[in-house]
Amino acid sequence: MNRLEAVIEKEKEIFYSQRDKDLFSSHILILIHQERESKKYKRKLCLALFLGIGTLSLLFSRISEIANDFTVGLSDAITGDILTTVVFSYGLLFALLALLKKPDFIFN
Amino acid sequence: METDEELVKRTLGGETDCYGVLVQRHADYLFGLGMRFTAGNREFAEDISQQSFLRAYKYLKSFNTKKKFKQWLTGIAVNCYKDLSNKENQYLSLEVIDEPSYTPDLGGNTGFFELIKPLAEDERAIFTLRYVYEYRIDEIAEVVDLKSGTVKSKISRALEKLR
Repeated sequence: MNRLEAVIEKEKEIFYSQRDKDLFSSHILILIHQERESKKYKRKLCLALFLGIGTLSLLFSRISEIANDFTVGLSDAITGDILTTVVFSYGLLFALLALLKKPDFIFN
Repeated sequence: METDEELVKRTLGGETDCYGVLVQRHADYLFGLGMRFTAGNREFAEDISQQSFLRAYKYLKSFNTKKKFKQWLTGIAVNCYKDLSNKENQYLSLEVIDEPSYTPDLGGNTGFFELIKPLAEDERAIFTLRYVYEYRIDEIAEVVDLKSGTVKSKISRALEKLR
């Protein structure tokens, strides 16, 4: 028992010192800062994912409606205004080309 | 000079630099604790010290400012020591036996380090707190989150091993 007590008494007198205390302290603060930034980033990422998934699900729920509107709009355009415009513009183009090939017909 | 508890309050108020003061104030204590728990393994002791400060910051909100910060930090250090020891043991069990084994950097009273080697992790921690740091049984019980009776029986078991 005396040997045990002697060893413990000797151990009590020893002082252990953390090397580079300033550096150690700065290192701890940097790690804390990194951890905090990482948490912020994860939170932002989760929010972005949540909003992204929400927007996509909203879009997909209305996709048939949008596709339907687009198809109807396109068929109306073909049967109506666009067809007339195309016929008129191509007709005018051919007429002008014909005139350019035979300029004598105009100037004489 | 501000007390630890005041510095904790300021840290929680957003002044992170105050935590740096706490780290500087208790770095030697935690390192010494780590050296004694690990029987003189300097690198391991530094890991324990670092992990303890990081964990303490993480759970700083749960610290009761009516209690002693140093004592609360000691409890965290004991838990970190146990966790890191378990991890290290898992790692060592996977190592190839033929490879050269790691020799710890024994700086200090090798007599004490040799003395506590036969003790289990929790026995080492309790024994060191009781006889080197002279904590009372009820204080140790609070630090390691055990009943006083359990602490007493662990101490007597440790003493039996050392005789």
